Amino acid sequence: MAEAILRIENLSKSFEGSVVFDDISFTLVEGELSSIIGPNGAGKTTLFNLITGYHIPEQGKILFRDQEITGMQPFDIVRLGIARAFQKTNIFPRMTVLENAVATVITRQKGNLNLYTPFTNLKAAHEKAYAILESVGLADMAKRQSGTLAHGNQKRLDIAVALALEPRLLLLDEPTAGMSPEERRQIVKLVQELWERLKITMLFIEHDMDIVFGISEKVRVLCYKTILAEGTPKEISGNQRVIEAYLGEEV
Amino acid sequence: MTADFFIFMLINGLCQGMLLFIIASGLTLVFGVLRVINFAHGSLYMIGAFLAYSLSTFLSGGSLLNFFLLMLVIPPGIALLGFFLEVTLFRRVYREEHLLQLLLTYALVLILDELVRLIWGGDPRSVARPDLLAGSVDIMSMALPSYNLFILFIGPALALGMWLMLYKTRAGNLMRAAVTYPDTLGALGVNVSWVMTSTFMLGCWLAGLGGVLMAELANIDLGIGMEKIIECFAVVVIGGLGSVGGALLGSLIIGVGITFFQLPFGRWALLFPYLVMAVVLILRPWGLFGKPER
Amino acid sequence: MRDRNLDKPTTNNLNWVIGVAVAVALALLPFVLAGFGRTGEYWIWVSTEMIIMGLFAMSLNLILGFGGMVSFGHAAFFGVGAYTVALLMKKGGVPFFLALMAAPVTAAMAAAVIGWFCVRLIGLYFAILTLAFGQLLYMIVFQWYTFTGGDDGIHGIPRPEILGPTGYYLLCLVLFLACLLLMRMIVNSSFGLTIRTIRENMERAKFIGINVRRYQWLNFIIAGAFAGLAGGLLAELNRFAQTEFLHWSKSAEPILASLVGGMYSLLGPAIGSAVLMFLKVFLQQMHQRMVEVWAIILGLILLVVVLFAPGGLVGLYQKMFSKSES
Repeated sequence: MAEAILRIENLSKSFEGSVVFDDISFTLVEGELSSIIGPNGAGKTTLFNLITGYHIPEQGKILFRDQEITGMQPFDIVRLGIARAFQKTNIFPRMTVLENAVATVITRQKGNLNLYTPFTNLKAAHEKAYAILESVGLADMAKRQSGTLAHGNQKRLDIAVALALEPRLLLLDEPTAGMSPEERRQIVKLVQELWERLKITMLFIEHDMDIVFGISEKVRVLCYKTILAEGTPKEISGNQRVIEAYLGEEV
Repeated sequence: MTADFFIFMLINGLCQGMLLFIIASGLTLVFGVLRVINFAHGSLYMIGAFLAYSLSTFLSGGSLLNFFLLMLVIPPGIALLGFFLEVTLFRRVYREEHLLQLLLTYALVLILDELVRLIWGGDPRSVARPDLLAGSVDIMSMALPSYNLFILFIGPALALGMWLMLYKTRAGNLMRAAVTYPDTLGALGVNVSWVMTSTFMLGCWLAGLGGVLMAELANIDLGIGMEKIIECFAVVVIGGLGSVGGALLGSLIIGVGITFFQLPFGRWALLFPYLVMAVVLILRPWGLFGKPER
Repeated sequence: MRDRNLDKPTTNNLNWVIGVAVAVALALLPFVLAGFGRTGEYWIWVSTEMIIMGLFAMSLNLILGFGGMVSFGHAAFFGVGAYTVALLMKKGGVPFFLALMAAPVTAAMAAAVIGWFCVRLIGLYFAILTLAFGQLLYMIVFQWYTFTGGDDGIHGIPRPEILGPTGYYLLCLVLFLACLLLMRMIVNSSFGLTIRTIRENMERAKFIGINVRRYQWLNFIIAGAFAGLAGGLLAELNRFAQTEFLHWSKSAEPILASLVGGMYSLLGPAIGSAVLMFLKVFLQQMHQRMVEVWAIILGLILLVVVLFAPGGLVGLYQKMFSKSES
């Protein structure tokens, strides 16, 4: 039935002596759409950084599809099937939107070493890139320099780039941060659509509780250096400890 | 190798290391506070050395007084030069990208090194040691040059002085604070700009002192600036940027290493700093200045 | 005439026409100059050197403008190429064309070794390391008197009879154009896109699966190879190779040329290099001793560019005339 796609086991991380979280464990089931919430500075982004290989944990293991990926290089982890969309927009500013996508597609197809074919001639890659841009609604801005895009569109591009990697697991770090309510709605709609269509496992970090409780199947609360609670939105919103520690502020 | 010979070489190596420390500490201090790697630090050192040569030709006799005069006059002169450089040039690029700062200091090295060549020419120079330090001292049947011993004492004295200044004086505290909390410092009403300028001047003073001391130790030529700055890089590779203690450790290792490498390799011993850098990079490929984060 | 913009590969026909026209004009130049006797021969020699140094500058720009990294040790590969030709021909009796083919190979090998170490670090520290290892090569060549002639250099490199001043000029021009086309191909390829991707956002590049270190290393080697070819050509032009070719100050010229001529175009560095050379020759005509302070002038120009036009003159130009920044 549903298999575990990501296993976090006894993970601990500190920076220069200051403990971010200690001995956390959880399991993501394949196809799950879940979220992580918690106060600022609780270590949610750090957790993403550990999963994607940007940092190395002091202790613990991360297993992706039963393969240990703790301490692997980011680019190797990406190739295994984990993609990430970032909190602060993290695109390639002076390249066009299309080039952002094409570069990712080419990398996915391991075509980076081609020294002779002009990349603009790679029809298949371009078609694929266009398809992805369309799925996030950016196809008509393909030729614009990505750095000049509005914030919301840059986020879409970020997601598009992550999708171009054909991931099995997609990590979204605060996808709606800094957006207007309307933009927020659109992004949520997009995320849900993509999840339903592509059936990939998604894990996102969010502060907006409406979104969290609206679309997640499962919620995990990262607080006080540990996973305080884990459960369905209904369970979490009713959890006394969580309300005291965190939700109390939000609600 | 006899024990005597080993100790002889060791002391010479430590002496080299101490001299390197004097210069490298200036570089690392400037980086710690101003966050600028001053390529031109080596050039300032070289200017100090050549100025020592010129000044010494005016002073007659090998008295200790003349020697101290050199040490008294030239380093502040270099510090003054540093003042002008900081105010006119460095100050403008603090907020800029590191690479821009690098290009700036690189341009300075081009200009300064060429100026030295124009003023003093390409021949190697040297300055005679003061009579008192010109001889040698017998230690365990080996004749150790007195001058080397002198440097061996000056080095730690300077290190102690720096430690005292950095940790026991207000000025030092401000410098250290500027490393960690530059913005807060400004908010507290401290004239941060003056802290930076004076740190820079101190760094230049150290470079100048190193130059003056070097001029009596060995021949100086147009290549010593670049040679020294690369040795300084090797020092910070070992000891970390911004750490005076690290600079001491790194300098001693490099100094001793070069000295002992001369035995089998002769003049190729000059390659030792590069070897160090290469080895460190193989063993710690995640970068020199941190833990195994990426 | 617009430079071919690295970031926007163009198949603009007009650019091609202009390019061919300029190439033809350059090809005819020596024949025109030959009519001016001694002076003409001098200017043919200067023009040849301009072409060679233009190639050198373009090679550095693969790392600088295109790869986004500052390398202060590029002269080392230039020098390796020069000494390869010099040693093979003078001491090995190897014919010129073979020796010339070896130059980019040895330079690439040197770049592979040095680059492997340097790409372990990024940004500032990468730059410092390139300076250090470049200087290391300089020192090796300087110290190894028995092999390289040390400070004396290697003189009296033979010149094949069929290559007079005009012939050699044309050879350099042809090779320059060939390299230009090669570079253009590389820049427009997937590899080129990958390098640009790394330049634009190194962290993100890692997160889309690019082994950043490996590609930076490859780019470094390619740049080194082209520099080696330029060095080999210069050694043969001057009929000598000397340690100055590897000196760290020699790396300043291509850096400045790229900044002045335009980092984000292929030809920009070559144009910048030509401008700097014209300046040098002009100053030398004015006052013989000017060439002795050339390093100071370079340094001053670099200072001015850094302080007042950090985007380079081309950055300035782009801001004024740009329509693509919308």
